[in-house]
Amino acid sequence: MGLQQFIAILRKDLIRELRTREMLISMILFVLLAMVIFHYAFSVGESVDLTYFTGGMLWVTFIFAMLLGLNRSFAQEKDERCLDGLLLCPVDRVTIFLAKTVGNLIFLLIIQVVAVPVFTLFFVERSYLGDLGIFLVILLLADVGICALGTLLATISMHTRSRDLLLPIIFLPLIVPVLIAATAATTGIFAEGVSLGSVAARLLFLLGFDAVFLVAAYGTYDFAIGE
Amino acid sequence: MKKLVSAPALFAEAGACLIIGLLLGFWYAPTDASSMGFSQKIFYYHAPIAETALVAFGVAFVAAILYLRSQDSRWDRLGVVSVRLGLLFSLLVMITGMIWGKAAWDAWWAWEPRLTTFLLVCFLYIAYFVLRSVVEEEQRRATFAAVFAIIAFIDVPITFFATRFLPEGLHPVVISAGDSGMEGSMLLSFLISMLGMTLLLAALIRRDLGVEELKDRVADLKSTIGG
Repeated sequence: MGLQQFIAILRKDLIRELRTREMLISMILFVLLAMVIFHYAFSVGESVDLTYFTGGMLWVTFIFAMLLGLNRSFAQEKDERCLDGLLLCPVDRVTIFLAKTVGNLIFLLIIQVVAVPVFTLFFVERSYLGDLGIFLVILLLADVGICALGTLLATISMHTRSRDLLLPIIFLPLIVPVLIAATAATTGIFAEGVSLGSVAARLLFLLGFDAVFLVAAYGTYDFAIGE
Repeated sequence: MKKLVSAPALFAEAGACLIIGLLLGFWYAPTDASSMGFSQKIFYYHAPIAETALVAFGVAFVAAILYLRSQDSRWDRLGVVSVRLGLLFSLLVMITGMIWGKAAWDAWWAWEPRLTTFLLVCFLYIAYFVLRSVVEEEQRRATFAAVFAIIAFIDVPITFFATRFLPEGLHPVVISAGDSGMEGSMLLSFLISMLGMTLLLAALIRRDLGVEELKDRVADLKSTIGG
């Protein structure tokens, strides 16, 4: 794997996005709108405390937002036949995978930098500054899993007839373990505060998920991206 | 030896084991002493079906790896056949599980880790067929399906593990590490049913493989005569 090639592909993706910003802007708007929708959907009465839903709301939003982003990130490659050019270059397929995954990860992190403070303002009553470190670790570990698996599956779905219709159907059932672990850990932080010991199992689980699917994607990406 | 594993022979062996297992389960094994009582009898079918569904997906996983290594369409056929049968068995797990649930907990559906995992497994492998249906080119379809079958099979145990982060379930844990949790007569009935169900899977795989081969040959012949 060539580090230079990795940087070149990543740089290309970042520059392309930062020029138009169409994907980032729509993802951020989607995330903010989702929060407003959640507010209305869950406004069932004064007595209902949303605190124990916050982790779930946050991760559902991010996973759906990522679906939007993943579709975009490959649509352009395919439409303008950029991918054919990329595949003609003497670049290891795995390098393409890693660059794409890191690119998607950066976009997701940018979204979260905007979304998490707003979400906290809207829904979280407890100050979780003391747990911020753990929260960031959860965020990063879950993001890596979402982006690695998402990039692999988006590569497959972009080659098919129905493209963006297919991606949610194959992506959502596979990402459930991340949703469960990240939601449980995040809700713990938003609702009552946690110690490192009490979320350690979830963090290890997320780390294991990332490792397993990075290896699985490493082994199968050659086949997913096609000749 | 060859005669013993022909499709008709396998069907006969499976039928014999399943009938003997059922007879033993009802008349030889004692009625469960715990709160389950008579409803526990469905266990001799429910658990072997669940195990067989996982075996079928395991076969599909191995077939997928072999396909990616050899690009031989025979492995793709084995993959399709086993996923289809695995899906069928998973549906049966859900149905027998719901019947048991109604008897034991007085509820047709409970969000219980195992039941929930199987529901997700159903969605995962339905997605496998959706994926197949939207790729036109034969070789590409087989390759994508293989990649997905590998990822999906890895995801199943991870999902099951993740459900442990959820609140406690209702499902009876019959077999835990180091303890089969059953007395001899129950275990014998269970094992014979399990053998029967696995043989049934083998018989169905053999038969379906023959059908798929014929389908491919018909398609080839049609294209030769320009039909």
